[in-house]
Amino acid sequence: MNKKVMRRLGLLAILALTMMLAACGDKGKETGSDKDGSSDGTANGEGGGTLVFGRGGDSVALDPAIVTDGESYKVLVNVTETLVDFGKDNMELNPLLAESWEKSDDGLTYTFKLKQGVKFHDDTDFNAEAVVKNVERWKNGDDKFAYYHSQFRLDEKDVIESVTAEDEHTVVFKLSTPQAPFLRNIAMSAFAMLSPTAFEADEKKMAEAPVGTGPFKFVEWKRNDAITIEKFDGYHVEGLPKLDKIIYRAIPDNSARLNELSAGSIDVADGINPSDAAGVKGNDQLQLIERPSMNVGYFGLTVSRKPFDDKLVRQAANYAVDKQAIVDAFFEGYAEVANTPLPPVLEAHNSDIKGYGYNPEKAKELLKEAGYNGEEFELWAMPVPRPYMPDGQKIAEAIQKNFEDVGLKAKIVSFEWATYLEKATAGDADSFLLGWTGDNGDADNFLYTLLDEDNIGSNNYTFYKNDELHKLLTDAQTEVDEAKRNEMYKKAQEIIHEDAPWIPLAHSTPLLAATAKVSNYVAHPTSSDKLLEVELK
Amino acid sequence: MSEAIVTPKKQVKERKSGPWRDGWRSFKKNKIALIGAMLVLFFVSLAIFGPLLAPQGINEQMLANKLQPPSAEHWFGTDDLGRDVYSRVILGARISLLVGFLSVIASAIVGSFLGIMAGYYGRWIDTIISRLFDILLAFPSILLAIAIVAVLGPSLQNALIAIAIINVPNFGRLIRSRVLSIKEEEYITAAKAIGMSDRRILFSHILPNAMTPIIVQGTLAIATAIIEAAALGFLGLGAQPPQPEWGKMLADARSYFITAPWTMIFPGLSIMLVVLGFNLMGDGLRDAFDPKMKN
Repeated sequence: MNKKVMRRLGLLAILALTMMLAACGDKGKETGSDKDGSSDGTANGEGGGTLVFGRGGDSVALDPAIVTDGESYKVLVNVTETLVDFGKDNMELNPLLAESWEKSDDGLTYTFKLKQGVKFHDDTDFNAEAVVKNVERWKNGDDKFAYYHSQFRLDEKDVIESVTAEDEHTVVFKLSTPQAPFLRNIAMSAFAMLSPTAFEADEKKMAEAPVGTGPFKFVEWKRNDAITIEKFDGYHVEGLPKLDKIIYRAIPDNSARLNELSAGSIDVADGINPSDAAGVKGNDQLQLIERPSMNVGYFGLTVSRKPFDDKLVRQAANYAVDKQAIVDAFFEGYAEVANTPLPPVLEAHNSDIKGYGYNPEKAKELLKEAGYNGEEFELWAMPVPRPYMPDGQKIAEAIQKNFEDVGLKAKIVSFEWATYLEKATAGDADSFLLGWTGDNGDADNFLYTLLDEDNIGSNNYTFYKNDELHKLLTDAQTEVDEAKRNEMYKKAQEIIHEDAPWIPLAHSTPLLAATAKVSNYVAHPTSSDKLLEVELK
Repeated sequence: MSEAIVTPKKQVKERKSGPWRDGWRSFKKNKIALIGAMLVLFFVSLAIFGPLLAPQGINEQMLANKLQPPSAEHWFGTDDLGRDVYSRVILGARISLLVGFLSVIASAIVGSFLGIMAGYYGRWIDTIISRLFDILLAFPSILLAIAIVAVLGPSLQNALIAIAIINVPNFGRLIRSRVLSIKEEEYITAAKAIGMSDRRILFSHILPNAMTPIIVQGTLAIATAIIEAAALGFLGLGAQPPQPEWGKMLADARSYFITAPWTMIFPGLSIMLVVLGFNLMGDGLRDAFDPKMKN
């Protein structure tokens, strides 16, 4: 009898455990000690001190020319600098290492006047010669310089034909073909200047310990844990940076990161779930920071697979989804409904396109007209939260229900993230959730990258192909008249709207949180924030 | 004994009734087992009449109404897609019980068959089947289930198959040992002596005598199977959305367990009660029908 009682107790214990399992969920790895600590913020006088920045993942490498991931650039924008800079919180072009520039009428020559008195962290002078050496490095680097390849190479030909030092502080770029977004491209963090002395001495070391001209210099990198950078005393802007030291810590789980912020062991937390925003706002010790939106979350309809090989079915799917309800429920108001792939912050955004709107009746009609036979298709749900898609699984369920209401039969499937992307690239998905955050604020970086036939097999996951669109998008790349170019992109959005390879869902406002003592934090649309004016009070 | 002396008439009746009736009588006296049986009956009726009782369907989303606390309109509140948790819990009973019953029936049939073969024929057949069971038992059962589902692909049906497979050796070994002892009985020797075929001996004599442990083990195994199905559902390997499987509902609820605990409490409570019911009933059945298995 005793044993029986024990058995029952054991059973109850297991059940209790089941419920606790539900409660625990996937807490990220527990964090180590407080390191140098963030609470000594005021120790070093006015605004200085150490800021600890918590983020979702570690950097891949720290050589700006070879990496492509956001977590690497998050650190690099504070260590290295580009000739041309984006605005503080927008995508306008501003001088940085180049004080001014001139473009020739044919759009083939750019002359940059460089800022004087700038030094790299290793005391090498920054001058025209340094720029030439950096550009030569990109040109001679093979495919490992991914961004150089994608932005400055057309059909295996270099867009930057040559670069020459006219004098100590003047450098001339000659292009082989006019490139409309040239300045935007050169402003991307991938094209930051490294010290020629450093990379000529040891090319490979750049990926571990970059030497730039930025406000902070690299100190130490503990893999999968933390990267430390500290104030560069010889920085070329007087009085900046304010902080003495920044530690970037990788804390993969969003809730765990927020917990650490509440506990005070980090000062800034990237990637806050929209559902946690209200809690952050209600806490006096914390502040919520909204990142200007430059992204799109979408539902892709693979045009090479049934049933979405039929335009009518794709349009029906667009009418079927109640985007406003999805935005309200899952983005908690931190997003707006997307009608085209381009976020409204970009000039080329076509605001005349009003989207399909939620109209189940119309969807049913179109499906009938298309002769859709009710066959089931797969609906891929993203397994990870992303700024443009806070909860892929749940949004998938909402869309599945929308589809069911009009008679489209979808089965939800999911894979782990790397497999998901790999299989989607190969065109294995019937329909899928995905999104994109812009790199350089140019329409080309959305429309050509995501929807042109040239990018089938890379970022064009829907395998969408339209000859008229292809001509428009490739012509727009070399069109130097801004107004004309915007018109071309507006036309391109109309074509995309009509062909409906996507259901554009939302342009979200990614969220960060910081402790109340952090001031002057400005979040940038590219997701890489410069912390040179940030202070701790 | 004293009862029998007082009313001899009853004694006659008892003698007529046989072991099943005896078992039932002793089961009825066991209060705890009766509570278990009532819990089981309650959930079985939910499973059968659920669609009549549930105010809403399984997937009637009202996104604007998500995560509402329990109210007159939504007795158990609403979940993160604005669906009525009360309706989903009721309709989920059918899924959990179906998985429990079907997987246990399947593993009982296959396990009994293999166990009888191994026990009755012995020699190399026994060796092969017993080693097969050993191999299956060598893996932690939930891990084996995950591996099977990973191969077959995640779905409720495959979860059911996986749970059936991992339970086969439990039944097999139980029956094998039972058959080993039964086959030494004199009535089996007698049956053999009069030239009865193996098949007839197996089905008319051995199987009926080995039945009680199967039933007892079966009842207890349903409880385990329901937990395993919920575990697979929790891991996203069992029921797929929008099926209202309790384990899946727990998994969905875990992001909101502080802000909206009702999304977790009710499916969790259902799992607990139905499993408790089957366990109490199973224990009672064992005490009543198979006193030898006690301890």
